[in-house]
Amino acid sequence: MDFGSFLSAPEIQVKVITYRDIFQDKAMFEDRFGEEYRNLSAVIKLDPADLKQLNVKKGETVILKNSFGKVVVKAEESGYETPHRGIAYMPKSPWSNILVSDETGGTGVPKFKDISVTVTSAKGEKVTELMR
Amino acid sequence: MEKNYHVCTGCGLLCDDIEVESEKNIVNKVYTACRVGVAHMKEARRAEADFRVDNKPVDEATAIREAASILKNARNPLIFGLGTSTNETQKIAIELAKKTNATLDDTSSFCLGPLVEALIQDKLKTCTLDDIRNKADVIIYWGTDPSDSHPRQLSKHTYFPRGSEKQRGWEEERTAIAIDVRKSHTAKICGNYFFQIPPKGDAEFIDALIAGLSGKLPKTSYNYPPKKLLELANILKGAKFGVIFVGRGLIYSLENLEPLFKLMKILNEKSNFHLIPMVGNCNTMGFNKNLFAETGYVNSVKFENGTVKHGPEYSVVESLKAKTVDAALVIGSDPLLILPGSIAKNMLEIPVISVDHCETLTSKHSKVYINTAISGVEAGGSAIRMDGVKVSFEPVIETNHPSEEVVLKKIMEAL
Repeated sequence: MDFGSFLSAPEIQVKVITYRDIFQDKAMFEDRFGEEYRNLSAVIKLDPADLKQLNVKKGETVILKNSFGKVVVKAEESGYETPHRGIAYMPKSPWSNILVSDETGGTGVPKFKDISVTVTSAKGEKVTELMR
Repeated sequence: MEKNYHVCTGCGLLCDDIEVESEKNIVNKVYTACRVGVAHMKEARRAEADFRVDNKPVDEATAIREAASILKNARNPLIFGLGTSTNETQKIAIELAKKTNATLDDTSSFCLGPLVEALIQDKLKTCTLDDIRNKADVIIYWGTDPSDSHPRQLSKHTYFPRGSEKQRGWEEERTAIAIDVRKSHTAKICGNYFFQIPPKGDAEFIDALIAGLSGKLPKTSYNYPPKKLLELANILKGAKFGVIFVGRGLIYSLENLEPLFKLMKILNEKSNFHLIPMVGNCNTMGFNKNLFAETGYVNSVKFENGTVKHGPEYSVVESLKAKTVDAALVIGSDPLLILPGSIAKNMLEIPVISVDHCETLTSKHSKVYINTAISGVEAGGSAIRMDGVKVSFEPVIETNHPSEEVVLKKIMEAL
């Protein structure tokens, strides 16, 4: 059993893979400051077992944190048939970009699809607002 | 009745079969386009003021004058964006960069730039989307999900259409393959031909595939079933006209392009394969080609008194990270939205000129904002499709907003 499950606020480490989503893209074209874009962007899709370990129900918010930033997003089940504990998915957006490393090794290419974060329950905290 | 078709500039496919209904210069209905294309052509959110300086409404002349003054006073301004601009606008931007000794870059420096450069230099075999529609029997999507990024590609060009030599289409004559770290919407369409690999597993998968193509036992450290890899190798060997569409998922996973060069070489010894990069914006390919024609480089350049320097240190990411640029002219892009927050935040420390048809995170934090016509909807010109084909377009509706081309010309004159 994972040690994390004995803590009062369990936390897990996940690798985040970012992806494109046509519904989110459409919402961005219409209004990148709008609710629809936020709802479709500020989301992390987790394995159901990871959600359970976090003691978070789908639709509740979680805190994603690493040394580059912190962001509150909504947690969802990924819907993938194959289990993928420890791997989570986020549509690429300013919310995922907050967590992207600035270490590029001088290549000019950030690791957009190689993000490691700690996930904990946000205990009702609201989704992070875009910088305005 | 002759129909009037328009071009959608919503993505790198530049679909040229779009019909619209418009009234009083407002697009009411869009036919044929995808979900993103419809949203793009009906794009409505305009800024409250067309021209702003320090977040206060001004007239056009004041905004142009202030933009020119920022560029004139900068030691090393960054000119960035242009992925959705016309070829004509991009060429003026290159001239503007020369005149202001600027660093010039677009999103390709952190997307598919190296691959596009290799294609422009004829290091990889490529073909057009029309060739694929007419001839392709094996279509590989590697680290890319066109169902979400280029929604009409499978239906208009690759898997589903009846091409001149592929009248029996996907049911009998075409195989679509997805290689990805997740079961994307495209992977679902590919059914049993979805090959799921672990993150960062692409280079090994390529090695194993090359082994399979060479008649050796394909092995990976993550124990990918050799039988499945051999099955894939056999399909590729039997291809009469194959194509690999390469996305960022693959490029980000590789240290360099060598594995891809090796794979293409052996594929073309065994069968006939082409490669097309899944370029996202409608004219990133144009920017790369136009800059290459002018400088011999596709992105990340720095002009200095008639000379041109090139390297990752002149990319948008490194120049913002190292704070080597002291002003920015951003054309049709939103770096505050698309770059890592830890790097994008450095833009808040320099004066930014945002030239864009919509309000963006970057425009809200710009010293100067100039609202333009939407290229391809309200302004005409030409762009280069993801497969290198030039597509020209007329405006769909009229507008009072100046085109990006006009704005850049005026800034140039004001200098």
